[in-house]
Amino acid sequence: MKILVPVKRVVDYNVRIRVRPDGSGVDLANVKMSMNPFDEIAVEEAIRLKEKGVATEVVVVSIGVAQAKDTLRTALAMGADRAILVTATDDVNVDLEPLSVAQILSKVVANEQPGLVIAGKQAIDNDMNATGQMLAALLGWGQGTFASSVTIEDGSALVTREVDGGLQTIKLKLPAVVTTDLRLNEPRYVALPNIMKAKKKPLEEVSLDTLGVAVRSRLTVLKTVEPPQRHAGVKVGSVDELVSKLKNEAGVL
Amino acid sequence: MFLNEMQEEVRETTRSFVDNVIRPAAEALDREERFPAEIYEEMGKLGLFGIAVPEELGGPGFDTLTYAVVMEELSRGYASVADQCGLVELISTLLVRHGTPEQQKMLPDILSMKRKVAYCITEPEAGTDVSGIRTTAVRDGDGWVLNGGKIWIHNAPVADTGFVLARTDKEAGNRGMSIFIVDLHAKGVERGPKEHKMGQRASQVGALDFSDVRLGSDALLGEMNRGFHMMMSVLDKGRVGIAALAVGIAQAGLEAAVDYAGTRKQFGKHISEFQGVQWLLADMAKDIEAARLLVHSAATKIDRGQDATRSCSMAKCFAGDMAVARTADAVQVFGGSGYIRGFEVERLYRDAKITQIYEGTNQIQRMIIARELLRKGARA
Repeated sequence: MKILVPVKRVVDYNVRIRVRPDGSGVDLANVKMSMNPFDEIAVEEAIRLKEKGVATEVVVVSIGVAQAKDTLRTALAMGADRAILVTATDDVNVDLEPLSVAQILSKVVANEQPGLVIAGKQAIDNDMNATGQMLAALLGWGQGTFASSVTIEDGSALVTREVDGGLQTIKLKLPAVVTTDLRLNEPRYVALPNIMKAKKKPLEEVSLDTLGVAVRSRLTVLKTVEPPQRHAGVKVGSVDELVSKLKNEAGVL
Repeated sequence: MFLNEMQEEVRETTRSFVDNVIRPAAEALDREERFPAEIYEEMGKLGLFGIAVPEELGGPGFDTLTYAVVMEELSRGYASVADQCGLVELISTLLVRHGTPEQQKMLPDILSMKRKVAYCITEPEAGTDVSGIRTTAVRDGDGWVLNGGKIWIHNAPVADTGFVLARTDKEAGNRGMSIFIVDLHAKGVERGPKEHKMGQRASQVGALDFSDVRLGSDALLGEMNRGFHMMMSVLDKGRVGIAALAVGIAQAGLEAAVDYAGTRKQFGKHISEFQGVQWLLADMAKDIEAARLLVHSAATKIDRGQDATRSCSMAKCFAGDMAVARTADAVQVFGGSGYIRGFEVERLYRDAKITQIYEGTNQIQRMIIARELLRKGARA
């Protein structure tokens, strides 16, 4: 079985982000970028399934600017076999909407015919949490989102989902789309020799024209603002004062 | 700085391992003076030993610049761990260059730390001046008999295999020394007690004593009587490694100092708002950057096959002096806290000092720089 893993190049989670002065978004020029952490979990899961002999090939795909090649190389160094870069823009500040990404991915799926797509549940830049679901809908496949465990058996995927009330286990007929939650696994450190080997693994570039997809934006960003500054707390003198503040000021009692 | 994509990737990978595994362990390793076997085993799996060993011999096959990047990042976590990486790099470089195919078969075990190595040069009467060594290897049948004593040998308390410089021709000076591969579990090998050092305390350092240790015909590394030259041939790389290690220590100090200055409040404001503290931080940052550029320049010269001796000595000397001065600044930013055990900068200051001493003292580095200047001219 072939597994397809979409990976997104996002602002590194350690970077203190800044809003562009015109409020049109987050400043992405000269900022350290890395693989979306949830996608890293997805790559790890796919590689583990290959190591267990469940999967035969792991293909990673990224959509966006040419610099996303670095992200794909990281996935190859982790252990993916092959990479596809869909060059969709040359502007690092362009963030494709989930529906566009899902449409592009559905074309890649049509070409690659994977038995399973494992995606991150969301990207840490815009937190949309929609691409996996939209892709499943476009393909007419089953979906298991927020996965904390994935087992493949007899043409099905058993997916344990982290839902509000606890854990829910569902059985999906393959092919299917799974999106990863934080506790699915802990991604491995890349071994140095594999960084060297990743250079020799195939990385194919395809254009939107080749795939026959036109990207259309449906959303308009009105403004982007930084979170409000946190204000200093107050010290209370007694339990009575605390209770009264909780009642009258915070309004939580 | 001017790293390529792959070198950046190596830096990132090493850094995330360092941040998650090495840096959090450093304080306890320093306090307990413990050999972190579990970290080394993990590093072996990740290919963090023998950075420049070619792929066909079991290494990752990177260049010297990549090695310097790894050394800086490891040392940013803990200098003792970086120094282990440096030691393995030198030994494996010697094996790659001079070892027989049979001897090279031990490389995978060395790179996975299943076999711990020691590089045995220094003796009580032969520190900086190596020509004073008294350890001898005397022909005996098709092998040799080794006698003598080594001190301050990194890994001596734990090592399995020693690479021992011994005199093989009493009359021939520097042309009368050879390097032997010695099983340190063999009869006649005695280990002295572990030294308790000022810094880099997880590095196990001690003495080795050889009395009538029998060496087989396969114990000689490279050519007979060429040991001194073989040793000198890896010195440039060793110096780049230690220079990078010094940069890593100072970088850790800078990061700690910047964080602290941005959180510690006095007179109602963060101490980072005082110009006196800002200038300390600025000086730290600029000197670290300068040292890093010297390291990268020296490493690049080695990779391009250019004469790198002057650059390597300049990098080692500058970075070592810089690390001591700038970790002292880091302690200064922390004030009283920086003088207390358990605060990272206190350890960094102690860890930095040896970088002015080992791998050729900084006085020797200045002699080398001056000699090169006077011999080859002042032009860069």
